[in-house]
Amino acid sequence: MAQHQAQPLHFSGSGSEYFRLWIVNVCLSIATLGIYSAWAKVRRNQYFYRHTRLAGAGFDYHGDPKAILKGRLVAFALFAAYTAASSFAPTAAAFILILIVTLAPWLLVRSLRFRLHNTSYRGLRFAFRGRIGPAYLVFLLWPLLAGLSLGLLWPFAQQRMAAYTRNNSAYGGAEFRFSAGAGAYYGIYLMTLMLGVVLFAGLMVLTSVLGSNGWFAVEEGQLTAMSLLLAALGTYLGLLLFAYPYVTARLQNLVWGSTTLGGHRFVANLSAYQLLGLMLSNVVLVVLTLGLYKPFADIRLARYRIEHLQVLVEGSMDDFVAGLQAGASAAGDEMAEMFDFDIAL
Amino acid sequence: MRLAAVYYDGRNAKAHPVTLCLEGDKLLLQGKEIVRRDAISALEIQPPLGSTPRVVLFADGARCEVADNRGFAELFPGADSRVAVLENSWRWSGLALLLVLALAGAGYLWGLPYAAQRLAQRIPAELAASLDREVLADLDGKVFQTSRLSPDRRRGLEARVAELVLPDPAGRPGAIEFRFSAELGPNAFALPGGTVVVLDALVELAEDDQEIVAVLLHEMGHVAGRHALRQMLQASAVGLAMAWYIGDFSNMLAAAPALMLEARYSRDFERDADRFAAEALQANAIPPGRLADMLLKLETARQRGLDAKLGAGSDYLSSHPTSEERIQRLRSQ
Ligand SMILES: [Zn+2]
Repeated sequence: MAQHQAQPLHFSGSGSEYFRLWIVNVCLSIATLGIYSAWAKVRRNQYFYRHTRLAGAGFDYHGDPKAILKGRLVAFALFAAYTAASSFAPTAAAFILILIVTLAPWLLVRSLRFRLHNTSYRGLRFAFRGRIGPAYLVFLLWPLLAGLSLGLLWPFAQQRMAAYTRNNSAYGGAEFRFSAGAGAYYGIYLMTLMLGVVLFAGLMVLTSVLGSNGWFAVEEGQLTAMSLLLAALGTYLGLLLFAYPYVTARLQNLVWGSTTLGGHRFVANLSAYQLLGLMLSNVVLVVLTLGLYKPFADIRLARYRIEHLQVLVEGSMDDFVAGLQAGASAAGDEMAEMFDFDIAL
Repeated sequence: MRLAAVYYDGRNAKAHPVTLCLEGDKLLLQGKEIVRRDAISALEIQPPLGSTPRVVLFADGARCEVADNRGFAELFPGADSRVAVLENSWRWSGLALLLVLALAGAGYLWGLPYAAQRLAQRIPAELAASLDREVLADLDGKVFQTSRLSPDRRRGLEARVAELVLPDPAGRPGAIEFRFSAELGPNAFALPGGTVVVLDALVELAEDDQEIVAVLLHEMGHVAGRHALRQMLQASAVGLAMAWYIGDFSNMLAAAPALMLEARYSRDFERDADRFAAEALQANAIPPGRLADMLLKLETARQRGLDAKLGAGSDYLSSHPTSEERIQRLRSQ
């Protein structure tokens, strides 16, 4: 096994600087009835990408705003048609929904290709080479089955999606590989479930003890029912609040920990507690400031996510850099660019 | 002048330290292993972006980054885009902030109600009526039971409404539906498509038919203004915007401000409906004070706690704290 050297990612963006970019973006987007929003997206992505630095070099974004505008118009048209139809013409709405669902995997592949092709690091582009056929399995069939199985297959579907997107991604001439199995995904959701059970049991004991000691008024013989109710309510609220950041943090750690690029590996070490605190304070501040805190919140979240990711470089940094070459099939990527459009995801 | 830069050739990830300088209309790039001269017109000089390095893209996929933003601006004085000037200045971005706040306020106060009104006018009557049937089918059996009023009583009230003189014929309801509801108490609603629902308890609470007619005329004011449809459109627009804006897992938190923003609209609608009712009552030789009497009765019924849920839900009649003001206005007419 070769020596691995940890290279952390840094994020140098600042809230006050991004705020100006953001407010100008919002203002121009409103003034141009949304058309500028495509250019705004490019500016925003460039801001976040260029401030993300690894081993002394930044990332960059090269998306063509016109392609993004095209994608947004298509998405907007589909969505508007569906919303209009769903209130007044259910049959037409069902038809549009079927159309959207059938198109979705194709659109997803297109936008993945667009996004990766337009991301660069040290002058080399990323690429996505996933084929359309498997995308229908991954983005349509498995999620559909997951829904039909009442979510039991959802971790499996999620694993298929991550494997498909990562295994078909490349940076320069090197390809990403993904090794996590569905078991690890089930582990995360089972753990969440366990937390729920432990929380419920704890609350049950607590309310029973408090109730029998007369801490809250309860009728004779109603104590168990009352404790059940309170514990269920507490568990529901606790999971509602905690499950999302917990699953997000654990999934990101799992996905990066199972990804390799050639001989290089990745480590993410997000903490669910910190993520919860971050998200909660962000939401509260955004609401309190009538939305003006949003750019600061975006920066905080990006910084947390990026700075808790490391690349484990195989060998020395010089070897790492020297081993990174442009991919062979650049022509295929150019074809992709011509017909591509990005859809807001 | 020479500017320090980092060059990537686009084929390899290696960073080459280089210097840049201008030679007439060409850019000269010199490093240990590289020298290249490119016509400036063939280069893509990217506009500045905050404190990030300036970027020059070459036609063959190579790139060059300059950390010294000020030096770069001196070398290429014309390359600042107008947008970048706005973004980099606190004054301009402050102006943008004021403009956005003003636009958002105006959009909320005037734009959204106006758009909802125009849209509501365009929605065909049959479509809106089918919406009412859906709403009723949804509520029947759950919140609503069949009316316990005698068929004669119901037909009598329908006939009474049919012969009313209206200031605006658009207020004529598509249908009057009688229902019994144990939970909702004395109440009446106008549905989006122009159906008016009357609950048995309201008919029983009224002293005489004039009071029932007064309440129905208020509801017909909502029908004339398509208030329920507009309310529905506005609520979905506000809710959608909130959910999109806050995003993530906070959708449930987005619902609260959306509800708060909604309250103001319904107040305006109540005032409109009261005005319609007052005009119609006068046209039919009923004193508008009868509506005030009825509002007062509903208010006392509510305060007596006969029905805790009366204040919640889509109740347009008595859900607002401004009842007193409304009563005064009606009495003075
Ligand atoms: Zn009303």
